[in-house]
Amino acid sequence: MVTRRQTLTLIGSGLAVAGLPRATLAAADTDKRLVVVILRGAMDGLSAVPATGDPDFERARNGLAYGGALKLDATFALHPNLAGMKQLYDAGELTVIHAVATAYRDRSHFDGQNLLENGSERPYGLDTGWLNRALAQMPPSAKPLGVALDAHMPLILRGPAQVTSWAPSFLVPPDRDTAQRLAALYGETDPKLAQDFASAQAANGVAAGTQVAAGYQAFAGLMTAAAKFLAASDGERIAMVEIGGWDTHVNQAGPFGPLSTNLVALDRGIAALKTGLGPAWQDTAVLVVTEFGRTVAMNGTQGTDHGTAGAAFLAGGAVRGGRVIADWPGLKPADLFQDRDLKPTIDFRAIATGVLRDHVGLHEGQLALVFPSAAPVRPRDGLMRA
Amino acid sequence: MTIEGVIAANRFGLGARPGQVAAISGDPKGWLLSQLTPETELPLPLATLPSTADDMGAFLRWIREIAAEAQAHGTDLAKLKPAGAPDAAMGSGMSGGATGGDGGFSIEREYVKAFVPRHAMAVKARFDTAVATERPFFERLVHFWVNHFVVSGAKPAAIAMPPAFERDAIRPNLTGRFADLLLASTRHPAMLYYLDNFRSVGPNSKVGKDPSLRAPRYVQAFAVPQMTGLNENLAREILELQTLGVRSGYSQADVTSFARVLTGWTIAAPPRVPLYRLVVEGRLNGKGLFEFDDDEHEPGAQRILGKVYAQAGVDQGEAVLHDLARHPATAHFIATKLARHFVADDPPPSLVDRLAKTFRASDGDLKEVYAALVHSAEAFEPAPRKFKTPEDYVISAARALPAYKTEPGTLLRAFASMGQTPYNPPGPNGWPDVEGEWRGADSVWKRFEWASQAAQSVATATMNPDVLAAELLGPTLSKQTAQAIARAQSPAQGLTLLLASAEFQRR
Repeated sequence: MVTRRQTLTLIGSGLAVAGLPRATLAAADTDKRLVVVILRGAMDGLSAVPATGDPDFERARNGLAYGGALKLDATFALHPNLAGMKQLYDAGELTVIHAVATAYRDRSHFDGQNLLENGSERPYGLDTGWLNRALAQMPPSAKPLGVALDAHMPLILRGPAQVTSWAPSFLVPPDRDTAQRLAALYGETDPKLAQDFASAQAANGVAAGTQVAAGYQAFAGLMTAAAKFLAASDGERIAMVEIGGWDTHVNQAGPFGPLSTNLVALDRGIAALKTGLGPAWQDTAVLVVTEFGRTVAMNGTQGTDHGTAGAAFLAGGAVRGGRVIADWPGLKPADLFQDRDLKPTIDFRAIATGVLRDHVGLHEGQLALVFPSAAPVRPRDGLMRA
Repeated sequence: MTIEGVIAANRFGLGARPGQVAAISGDPKGWLLSQLTPETELPLPLATLPSTADDMGAFLRWIREIAAEAQAHGTDLAKLKPAGAPDAAMGSGMSGGATGGDGGFSIEREYVKAFVPRHAMAVKARFDTAVATERPFFERLVHFWVNHFVVSGAKPAAIAMPPAFERDAIRPNLTGRFADLLLASTRHPAMLYYLDNFRSVGPNSKVGKDPSLRAPRYVQAFAVPQMTGLNENLAREILELQTLGVRSGYSQADVTSFARVLTGWTIAAPPRVPLYRLVVEGRLNGKGLFEFDDDEHEPGAQRILGKVYAQAGVDQGEAVLHDLARHPATAHFIATKLARHFVADDPPPSLVDRLAKTFRASDGDLKEVYAALVHSAEAFEPAPRKFKTPEDYVISAARALPAYKTEPGTLLRAFASMGQTPYNPPGPNGWPDVEGEWRGADSVWKRFEWASQAAQSVATATMNPDVLAAELLGPTLSKQTAQAIARAQSPAQGLTLLLASAEFQRR
């Protein structure tokens, strides 16, 4: 078996070049797949998952409550645009987590996203991402086990473990001979570019030709591509996809409000992933998370401002779903965090470490490296099917 | 050719043109400093773009047209709510179809038809300006500040605004005092629109107490009725992203107070005359569209960062902005961003300190700060510590290949493929400025794809890519890259290897 280190040496020497068949690379040691979806801009958790059974809900939302929500239990419902996710919930493949937050307690998107991705207890506390550190703890593999469906490399996947990335291209693939020469040149001059280049060639072999539409439909296309990477028996095991546009300060539910469209995109993306994965869906967990929630009350412009706790989702055939996990703080004025936000009662890291332990198979010592913290974070028990 | 010449052209500029490194190698720092003067006239590609009035007028017309068309299709835009049928709800975003069904009225289709060509033209004009400029350091600074005071077309309703903002607020002010740049940005209708301030109303103002008193406005057509409260978006982002920087000690109370201060900073009311007359009279240029409306302004003193601002009216906001501009945290924040942009992802603290000190000592004279940067030894260390962004990569390649030609649509698709569509950064924090973000498997491959296409489009049988490589990269060209280019099978292959080389991507 070729070890990870040997492969990197091969790549570094310029010998790993275009068209190296995937079958010659050692497969991952696990069948478990994990997809992390980041909703950038702070999803309004109380719109996505309204607490319709809370007697204070309608008053607290002062105009943002709506009819037609899809009832989950005595307290919670889903936005009508999440009809596909409601089906997953009914099939026991979706868990909703509410009043959840990272360790971040201020209201900057960019600090909030940075902390969500770096997995430390403060913005810029680490310059690597927790998902990459999780990859680094997985059994060594001869090829990248992580993939970002993104033209950028998101912080959550930056770090010591080599990862690949893919996003649709409007450009024309160059000829093979030039690719081989460039791979060799990078091998002699720039090991980082050499690694990236080799990873890209392999990724193109998997995802090239995946149709990704423009606009809100792009997310479903990227999730389809993610499924291609994850479905193969020798494929990647961790994927990261993001969808922006959740910062709904203005008219969030009205004619030009983005929230409703984004929820449709999310719903269709999860469905596209499930379809693309086929039987591998049974081994999959999808963690959907945003940097923070939004204000409980409507602001002066029919939207919501930056808040604290919000909602997250855990979907997939491997998930013990069909339930809402919440230690509901309530919506009375005295219940709110700093008189304006939903109070956080679940630490996002408890969910993430619960998944990493019971699904990805990391032990607690490894989890402490993935989410370093002053006080130990207790992984949430029972998130996955036994 | 000196290494300082290569650094001046590549690290400070937008990439060398053939022969340029040799031309500036005698006095590279003098060449950079000579570019720090205000622009006497707009570069030709920008001057021939539609005017700000046209951009903003087009948006107004478009809103009216879709409203009329939606009505014709029996869709009442104002009544679409998520509580309705899922298809109707889906259409309530700009990028969705208003009726969801195929063949029906589609907001997205109308929007794309109206604005994507306009956006593509503006991106092409920005690109042509950067490729042709004799003042590439100045142009880099334009790009830097547009990425600091961000108005992004990624918010669909703002798609027409970033080029106007760049022309009106940024270009005329970037070699002056930071305070003037900040004020020009905050007054510009594009910023007031993008960060929602035009909608923000003081709860105790006349309009706050009686919304029916709200004046009709130019933007009324796309404002939503009943917006009569505070919106803290602009206030927060000025503190967090444009002046003090995040985690510099301000509180949520400071954000809210500052939002109250900025109520009434809005976009001019439309006089009851046809739009074309406003255009003819020049009243719809960007600067002319700022208006302070005392009826929407929250009355009374406000406390920000411990200081009480008791001024009335617009003076209150100007006083706060002036204080923010000369705050030591602002000096440090701007110094850090400049040093990160031009020198290293983790800039040397000595350099940041020197730039911040210059900023403070000169009361925010940006020309002095840029000069301090040029005179810093850290900025001329030979080892490259920056990885070009996709936009800078494409611009520098086009500067290297004078025969390269492209079309607006092709260029826009290339930038989109590489994850950096100019004028459309994902949020008000602008594009990231570190290698970790831009160097990944996908982006390295996309650059190779683009380089290969560009090289094939300009290559001729008699071309000598090895000579060009030496001209562009001078002493920074590695033996291995020079050899790979020399051994290429064709000029196109040699050019591709040059443009894709590590030396060309790093600076």
